[in-house]
Amino acid sequence: MIYRLNFIFWRLRVVMQILVVYFLWLALFSGRNELFGYNQSQMLTYVLLTSLARSIILSTTTMEIGSIINQGNLSNYLIRPINFFRYYIARDIADKSLNVLFSIGEIALLYVLLRPDIYIQSDVTMIAYGTLAVCIGMTLYFYFSLLLGFLGFWTPDVWGPRFLSFVIMEFFAGGLFPLDILPAPLFALSKSLPFFYFIYFPIKIYLGQLPIQEIIRGIFLGSVWVGVLWCAARMVWQKGLRVYTAEGK
Amino acid sequence: MKQVLKYLHLWKKLTSNSFMSVLTTRFNALIFLLGKSLRFIFFLVFLGTLFSKTQLIAQYTALQAMFFYLTYNIVDTTTQLFFREVYRFRPMIVSGDFDLVLVKPINPLFRALAGGADPLDLFMLVPYIGALAYTAHLLRIITITNVSVYMLLLLNGILIAAGFHILVLALAILTTEIDHAIMIYRDLTSMGRVPVEIYRDPLRSILTFVVPVGIMMTFPAKAFLGLLSFRTIAFSCFLGVAFVSVCYRVWKYSLSRYSSASS
Repeated sequence: MIYRLNFIFWRLRVVMQILVVYFLWLALFSGRNELFGYNQSQMLTYVLLTSLARSIILSTTTMEIGSIINQGNLSNYLIRPINFFRYYIARDIADKSLNVLFSIGEIALLYVLLRPDIYIQSDVTMIAYGTLAVCIGMTLYFYFSLLLGFLGFWTPDVWGPRFLSFVIMEFFAGGLFPLDILPAPLFALSKSLPFFYFIYFPIKIYLGQLPIQEIIRGIFLGSVWVGVLWCAARMVWQKGLRVYTAEGK
Repeated sequence: MKQVLKYLHLWKKLTSNSFMSVLTTRFNALIFLLGKSLRFIFFLVFLGTLFSKTQLIAQYTALQAMFFYLTYNIVDTTTQLFFREVYRFRPMIVSGDFDLVLVKPINPLFRALAGGADPLDLFMLVPYIGALAYTAHLLRIITITNVSVYMLLLLNGILIAAGFHILVLALAILTTEIDHAIMIYRDLTSMGRVPVEIYRDPLRSILTFVVPVGIMMTFPAKAFLGLLSFRTIAFSCFLGVAFVSVCYRVWKYSLSRYSSASS
């Protein structure tokens, strides 16, 4: 809380991002009851929940890892009796807790101000599946972001790939719109990417729009992706340590 | 005239340095270009998807919406091309290095605002302008008047954007906050990717008159389509000039509060 204004502006930005998408969809629904198989209530719920999903799934402190490696500061972590992966898991939990806390407050405030007609899921099973999908998305993104950070072992250009991944992820994770409104080939492509499990999949479960077979299949495939990225992150970390020269220190 | 030439020479020098700096990391530059291109294409896909379900959005056809989106991209990219240095201003303030700018015989606002053009945005502008010209051709309403008014309001939009960037710089001096402020500006202006008419009131009025995103992004395209009266065009230009004047005053005030922290 040292940089309070910075913090306020950061949260204001989060609210702005929700409002930009919210008002866009509200406008598109004017004079329509249904669009792309969604009614207004479902779509606005989707938009509001993307904010919560972002704060839980896409908030991470691992973005700094590339710079830490490039500046040679990784040495400070390597000499400590801690596991690097677990250290960042602990930091992420703290970061996500802060994000979720404020995100819930902001969504509540927006709900009071805008009074949108939102969809409340009453089926406990769907909420449980949705929560499980959020955990999968969270783990997936953690390892995905770690992998991007580990690029720092081989190149000082770590922000370019992160920016590119951010653009691709924003589209294929369903941050601006639900992925099933896309043309069939693009939707099929999105399903084959790990980003599918970041935002779209958990929210679709919450909205009760996926049949149980598809939920189980999605949870299985998401878990496979977690396994793949976990192995990749371990492997890249080990290889990276071999070439790490603490340059800059 | 001498002053203008001096600053033009200086800008060329700073821009050339900035271009060389960006192009030393060609791989990174290429990745950024790819990212920017994909971001453009992805929103285009979104627009195309919307128009696959409806003929008109807020009374605009798909081609007209495309024209609005390209206009947004041209204003946004031109702004980033010229004012990229704003994104690098905070380290200068928190480290106290801004002192080194203040002691030089140049206008500090010029250095802080336009001291490092971004070549990647220049590369992006080329296809945008090409696509805009092609879309305008398809609309079949190209006249000298339409093009002139469009250019005038495009410049006005860039002028308003300059005003916003000056405000962000002033805020950086007063508070050291800049990163989120500039991104809030970008989020707000992103509402101009579609014609602001699609939003409901009071948001539509706010986006037109309070935070003049509509005037920046939507009005040039509307003028080209012949949907703006002469009075509205004149009012927009007046607002643009007045807005930048106010922003410049805020900048002057912020300079008087500069405390040279950390130096």
